[in-house]
Amino acid sequence: MAHEMMVLALQLGVILLAAKLNGWFFSRKLKQPKVLGELVAGMVIGPFLLGSIPLGSLGPLFPVVEGTIPVSPELYGIATLGSILLLFTSGLETDLPTFIRFSGKASIVGIGGVIVSFLLGAGITVVFHPEVHTLMDPEALFLGTLCTATSIGITARILGETRKISTPEGVTILAAAVLDDVISIVLLSVVVGISVVSLNGGSIAWSGIGLVALKAVGFWAICMVIGIFTAPFLTKGLKRFQSLGLLAEISFGFALILAGLSEMAGLAMIIGAYITGLSFSQTDVASEITERVKGVAEYFVPVFFAVMGMMVDFKAIGPVLGFGMIFASLAFVGKLIGCGLPALFVGFNLHGAFRIGAGMLPRGEVTLIVAGIGLASGAIGPDMFGVAVLTMLLASVAAPPLLVFAFKGKSGYKKNIEAQEDADMVFIELDFPSERAAEYVRKSLAEAFHGEGFYIHAIEGSVRSWQIRKEDMVFVMKRMEAKLEISAKRQHESFVRLMMLETLADFQEFVEGLQSMQRPDLMGASLMINMFAQENSGKKNRTQ
Amino acid sequence: MKLKNILAPELITVDVRGTTKKEIIQELLGLLVKAGRVSEVDMVLGELMERERKMSTGIQHGVAIPHAKTKAVKNLVACIGIKKEGFDFQSLDGEPSRIFIMTLSPIDRVGPHVQFLAEISMVIKTEEARARLIQAKNAQEVLAVFGL
Repeated sequence: MAHEMMVLALQLGVILLAAKLNGWFFSRKLKQPKVLGELVAGMVIGPFLLGSIPLGSLGPLFPVVEGTIPVSPELYGIATLGSILLLFTSGLETDLPTFIRFSGKASIVGIGGVIVSFLLGAGITVVFHPEVHTLMDPEALFLGTLCTATSIGITARILGETRKISTPEGVTILAAAVLDDVISIVLLSVVVGISVVSLNGGSIAWSGIGLVALKAVGFWAICMVIGIFTAPFLTKGLKRFQSLGLLAEISFGFALILAGLSEMAGLAMIIGAYITGLSFSQTDVASEITERVKGVAEYFVPVFFAVMGMMVDFKAIGPVLGFGMIFASLAFVGKLIGCGLPALFVGFNLHGAFRIGAGMLPRGEVTLIVAGIGLASGAIGPDMFGVAVLTMLLASVAAPPLLVFAFKGKSGYKKNIEAQEDADMVFIELDFPSERAAEYVRKSLAEAFHGEGFYIHAIEGSVRSWQIRKEDMVFVMKRMEAKLEISAKRQHESFVRLMMLETLADFQEFVEGLQSMQRPDLMGASLMINMFAQENSGKKNRTQ
Repeated sequence: MKLKNILAPELITVDVRGTTKKEIIQELLGLLVKAGRVSEVDMVLGELMERERKMSTGIQHGVAIPHAKTKAVKNLVACIGIKKEGFDFQSLDGEPSRIFIMTLSPIDRVGPHVQFLAEISMVIKTEEARARLIQAKNAQEVLAVFGL
């Protein structure tokens, strides 16, 4: 036991070093997502490359473990914890109201993408794989499923960097990406259910599949409803401990419990983690929980991606490289057509449809999770796992430049839906004579809101913005050079105006206080006088 | 927040007589004292006047919201005064103030007074509601405007 733990500590240390450094190299030097760097690091140090080299009496650091997963169960366990953390934070970062508002258009786009991608992925497997004869074969099902999920992380990062998140296309892409991740996860549960029956030699009855699907959707729906309704009460109760750290830790405890329950119900653990995150995303402490959980996720998520990279058996990929390229191309086409075509029917023009199709291209964590579960259950072999990783790599490398290119030019929406959204919002602006004055008032406002029980969270972006949130009240404060702007829903306008008025009254007092202060130039002069007085007396001392 | 728990007939006057800012504030404070909500009159008056000195609480459309945070109260207290002929409270739009809504809230607690004022302002946002307040003959008619 002690030996296994020692090896695990060494393995984790090496993984973290390699994944973090390569992640940094990919994001800073190659301008690619970090996840690619972590994945590649895993491939290089894993059991099929450098990891197999014996290190004296220790032997290979990453020996090939017999069975479906080539790494030790302990290491795989830590990687699983990483996937739970990842999906928990993805759930926390999902904006449920936006998701619901665009759910109509996004559902059509998302479902279109899922259906076309699934059929193309599963179909090409049947065509090219001699042992796979029907779409119901576990291998075809898994390959179809892993075509369906879009990486929210990669898409959101690119849209955020190019400031396109709030465009009609941007919101639709994100909502559809959330939706097709959900569909993929539910689909995964169904596929796992079918595979278990199929691999155990049983015949697949459609009633059985229906039952599995019903169970998956039912578990999802029940947990979502319970989660969304209870999370605000739960956080209200937990706030009594007066420790946001404790609140975040307990919420992650719930994520783990729900992950375990999902597995017990025959679903993937990540479903439970994602639902818990989504439930807490609607509470006023969501940002605080995310911030704290992300601190932990930063350590474990790279381990997950690196371990996924370690599963790539290069020898197994070789013979299927051609198939992999065709598969990856079809995965692209599946999303471009599957999402782009329906977008044309829900108000977007050709330009917008292309943007949406391109935005749905990136594949990421869910693809790997689907492939990892497929590999663990024996439904797909190492060769097809390699195909999945290849698809993810190609999609993730090709999507960012394509997306940046697609978003150049005019709006891709036929009607102006942003105007509709703006009608419910008010934007209150204050102009100051200098950036410093604006920043002073901005800080005072943040303190005033904090004093009223609000949580303030900095939003990343090129403009300095903060989210101010308490229960159902959500405001966004922005500082653009010497201008301050707060946006709020119309029903909360009076509240915001009064808060600003009080802060300005304090600012007025501060300004008056400054004016009554002794002249700063005189204060400065007195400082200088004292300094030279000392110098003179020092000289005197020396000369004496 | 329930306005019902904060407002009561004894905290309302439809006949404010003061002719200076201080007199009006004193008169409103008198309502809170009489109702047993505040006892340290001098201290609170000083705090209210200090807030007025920083920036007038006369806002728009004839509404003024004199307020302060003070150690003298443990919970939010409020009162309403109507001065039909109006008084120049140095409001933002220069209009004379006719509706006075005074609040005092505790210093050390997360203050509910902004929330209270925000709710009040939602009600008196319309010209019609403000006209009803100014024309009110007694406290009950004022409360009725707030649906109480």
